[in-house]
Amino acid sequence: MMETERVFSLRNVWFTASVGAVIGIAAVAALIGFIWIPLEQSNKTVAGLWDAICTAAGVPESFRQVQQSAAPIAGPSNVIVSAQMMKPADGLSIGRGAALAPQCTMCHGVRGMSHADAPNLAGQHDAAIYKQLRDFKSGHRTSAIMGALVAGLGDQDMRDLAAYFAGLPRGPEATAADARHEAPVIVRNGSPMRNIAGCTSCHGGIDIKTGSPRLDGESESYLRAQLLAFATGARHNDIYGQMRNVARQMTPEEIDTTARFFAGR
Amino acid sequence: MGIVALLVGMMAYMSLHWASMPPSRIETIDPATLHIAGEFVEANLGSGVEPNGSVTVRVVGNRYSFTPQCLLVPTDTPVTFRATSADVVHGFNIAKTNVNVMLVPGYIATFKTKFKEPADLEMPCHEFCGVGHATMWAHVKVVDKAEFEKQAGGKRRVSCVK
Repeated sequence: MMETERVFSLRNVWFTASVGAVIGIAAVAALIGFIWIPLEQSNKTVAGLWDAICTAAGVPESFRQVQQSAAPIAGPSNVIVSAQMMKPADGLSIGRGAALAPQCTMCHGVRGMSHADAPNLAGQHDAAIYKQLRDFKSGHRTSAIMGALVAGLGDQDMRDLAAYFAGLPRGPEATAADARHEAPVIVRNGSPMRNIAGCTSCHGGIDIKTGSPRLDGESESYLRAQLLAFATGARHNDIYGQMRNVARQMTPEEIDTTARFFAGR
Repeated sequence: MGIVALLVGMMAYMSLHWASMPPSRIETIDPATLHIAGEFVEANLGSGVEPNGSVTVRVVGNRYSFTPQCLLVPTDTPVTFRATSADVVHGFNIAKTNVNVMLVPGYIATFKTKFKEPADLEMPCHEFCGVGHATMWAHVKVVDKAEFEKQAGGKRRVSCVK
């Protein structure tokens, strides 16, 4: 009987040829994938062979420095808006806020419900109150009255005021069902082809985006004035134009409808 | 063996000719402070002409709009998009072109392309990003190279937001 030839042996021509071919293809593929393509695609922004290999392998790099104009650019806001930006309110913070609140009550009402076309603060989201106070203080949002009033407030003062007003009672917040049935189309659905998201997708009703105020019960003239100011860019403390992009696309009639609807709730 | 070699060849060809969409170099950035300092501050967004004549367009996706809302780009010019997200995952997709990349918070997406002829293109967000996702659209206006130079002339950044 013939002796069986060992498969895994360098003397087996089939074995050496096929393993050699596999290694060859892998080597060529690695050269193409790790060196040729990254060098070619990056239009010479890759610094060298090793950089090309890192690029292809997906090694993270913190962003490349780009030339910035020397003058500091005034952005919309210095506030970092995130789900963690506010601590849960504690009694101490609310108490301090209550002690600071009398300077607000002339316009915003004794219990945070205004009779002077200033925004109602009772039951407002603490993140929204805090962000606006910070923006008034830094000058990203301008108001002759508010600018003067917040000048003396420190960061903790603003957090305390936000905690205090957020805890005051206001009517129940709009529910998704309300939003579906009563609200005008512009409030409920927005206008997709004009990049107008429905108000309810950020301001409560369906979803709340951190930093967005609840709008129900606010004064009609205040809401209209803010939408018009966003539309012209006179007010620009909304991060990445999240409100300017919306208001700019709205017709004057839609602005009226929206302001009237929220004021009437 | 022949098939494997053919597939490697195909992938190389597609990558070199930008038919497929190979990932760009991973670059990381803090999404929470994008608007305060660095490359993606609001005043630095839009199209800018580079010293070598190519155009870089910087875009940020943020629920529920892209900034700038209307991107202005020239024909017959290498265009590099650099984009990222300030909150959740958004999609960056210019209809009728092969520009298609995800905007993941914390990472910068880079995409290079060239536009052949003037056109008004739509740019819908195509990664579900929340309740208002369906309303998240931007527009891309491709204009003749000369027209672009006229509009961009001397300006640091240009867009077609009205």
